[in-house]
Amino acid sequence: MNHNRYGYLFISPWLVGLLVFTALPIIASGYLSFCSYDIVSPPKWIGLANYSELLLHDARFWKALWNTLRYAALALPLCMATAFGLALLLNLELPGISIYRTIFYLPNIIPAVASAVVFQWILNPQIGLVNGLLGLFGIQGPAWLQDQVWAMRSLVLLSVWGVGGSVVIYLAGLKDIPESLYEAALVDGANAWQRTLHITFPMMTPIIFYNLIMGIIGTFQYFTQAYVMTQGGPADSTLFYALYLFFQAWRYLNMGTASAMAWILFLIVILTTWLAFRSQKHWVHYDR
Amino acid sequence: MIAEGKNPEARSPAFRLATAAVVIALLAVTLLLLKGNKHKNEGREKVYFWHCWTGEWKENVIDKIVTRFNNSQSRYQVIALSIPFDSSEQKFLLSVAGGKPPDCVALWGRTLSAWAEKGIIEPLNNFMTPEEWAHYQRDAYPVVLKVATYKGRLYGVPTNMNTYACYFNPKQLREAGLDPARFPKTLEELLDWGRKLTKTDVHGNLTRIGFLPAGLERYAPLFGGGFWDETGQRVTINTPQNVRALTFLTDCWREFGVDRVVRFRSSLNTGGFSTEWPFISGQESIALDGQWRVEQLARYAPQLEYGTAPLPPPRGGTPDGCYGGVNRLIIPKDAANAAGAWAFIKFWSGIENPERAAEFYVAGGWLPTTTGIAETTAYQQYLAKFPKFQTFIHLLPENMEVPPPVPYQQLVSDVLLHAEEFSERGLQTPQSALAEAQEKIDREVSRRQRLGL
Repeated sequence: MNHNRYGYLFISPWLVGLLVFTALPIIASGYLSFCSYDIVSPPKWIGLANYSELLLHDARFWKALWNTLRYAALALPLCMATAFGLALLLNLELPGISIYRTIFYLPNIIPAVASAVVFQWILNPQIGLVNGLLGLFGIQGPAWLQDQVWAMRSLVLLSVWGVGGSVVIYLAGLKDIPESLYEAALVDGANAWQRTLHITFPMMTPIIFYNLIMGIIGTFQYFTQAYVMTQGGPADSTLFYALYLFFQAWRYLNMGTASAMAWILFLIVILTTWLAFRSQKHWVHYDR
Repeated sequence: MIAEGKNPEARSPAFRLATAAVVIALLAVTLLLLKGNKHKNEGREKVYFWHCWTGEWKENVIDKIVTRFNNSQSRYQVIALSIPFDSSEQKFLLSVAGGKPPDCVALWGRTLSAWAEKGIIEPLNNFMTPEEWAHYQRDAYPVVLKVATYKGRLYGVPTNMNTYACYFNPKQLREAGLDPARFPKTLEELLDWGRKLTKTDVHGNLTRIGFLPAGLERYAPLFGGGFWDETGQRVTINTPQNVRALTFLTDCWREFGVDRVVRFRSSLNTGGFSTEWPFISGQESIALDGQWRVEQLARYAPQLEYGTAPLPPPRGGTPDGCYGGVNRLIIPKDAANAAGAWAFIKFWSGIENPERAAEFYVAGGWLPTTTGIAETTAYQQYLAKFPKFQTFIHLLPENMEVPPPVPYQQLVSDVLLHAEEFSERGLQTPQSALAEAQEKIDREVSRRQRLGL
């Protein structure tokens, strides 16, 4: 008992921090989502008006949700496949492989805002690096971030560039697969492809599942790059959910509406994550 | 095995002593520097002032005004802080919510009426004597009063008005066989000139734009349009005049090709106040831009021959119709030193001494806000030195349109930009884009009424 008390005492800074800076704002946002609130005057209870306004009347809300879902559908599988493929390659025992591992991880060290600004120039339609290279092959590149069709794709490409983080997690998982399994398969005459498909992949499913959950949560909260590079444009083609939430909160000072959006997003993320967890018994293997 | 001498435990006491001495010395130096950095003039009342000017504008204009004020008297000490424009309103509102706002803010955005409505900024006419207030109302240009007041009270003292006119490059005009002395009298004619001045490379990419109209807010007044109905006290977007203006802009973009324009513009740094202006580099022959460019051209491109002219109206349109913006000085409700802030505002805006304030207006290349300023010798000398500035002065009292005085100005501006973008990109017709914009605003109005906001 005495022991426990000291324990709590030692973790009290974190406990207080969690309560004051996380739990309290969450509860407050729940209350504020039923209010009209502009941060300078006291909140005013308006019932479900924020929710009904968003769900029934706000076309941009649906546009933002649709954009976010589209981004998730494009970026999530692409990033996961790229990261897994890269991890397999980087797991090979080649001379200087650690240099390659470092190179692929580098984008994750660069702050998101800095890389977004650099990519704005790389993707510049007229004087950018990408269109310059395409020009060498006689290809007129798209207007990337300035084109309402290509802007979303540009952001997806940028997210693929930053998969280094999940590559590292996959790599750790790959290193964790017992060598004996591969040896047994070799004795049985399995080729490299069969070993990957029947040993590596099943053994990696918990890691893939983890990355999937993190990916779902991350893509639904996608904000920084779009805020820096496109501000939701051109023509709302990159207006993401979190970006629109931010605009509601800070551009129009509709904190109530923004809180309602946050709770709707929370429910969506919970639901998707729950579905993912439901699905795992069909494809995730925990047994060793 | 660890080699002896590399073991940290084995470091000599002398080494440790030396390290400690260096650390202490560094700390002492830092403390001394911090002390030396403290503001001079201890004992004066501090007036905290936030603004969004940066770079040359901050150094050459704002900092000098602040220094002049601080040197002018012994009671107050203005401490200026430049904050990023993008997040300036958030920062301000958080400071208000936190109960510690600055004493004075130079407001650039479109939130004066919203903040006045919420009661977070002071009505400044309360600081004036009735005579001063009456005089200010006579002295200020009508358009200045329009943007500075909300429901009849003065909430921000304008320090500078901005408006737009055409800058043209006579050399490029002559090369294209056009006579700079006979600048077009109609918008249609101006477009024709633009076509003759536009250049493309072998791939069809634009290398020079003759004249590309953009910005519904700036063009609508020329078509007799606007966004505020004074008699009905409502925001009007979907009017035949505005539809005509947007149709005109959309047709222009279609003629150039949206993709080509977008590509060309992306390679230019077209940021509002940047000196990297395509007009200076010769990539734009005729540009609609603000009066502050006169000052910049004199400073950074003194060799460049240029002319200014009001944007001509379309056939049958409103001559000298233009759009203006304004920067205003405000005092937050809970300002700790409102009296000091007011002294600073009076000093800067010229309410106290127009002759002295005119020097600031001249340094910033700003339009005068009162006839008092315009008539000062300093200002008249400036106009004699830069006759091209006259074009802008001439526009000031005329048909200048300003943002509608509603608490949701930001939304109106965003909705208009949205409509313009969708129309110019061919995603909506001008009619449907403006109808949708009107609907959004009307819904916001009824939402606010319903919620009693």
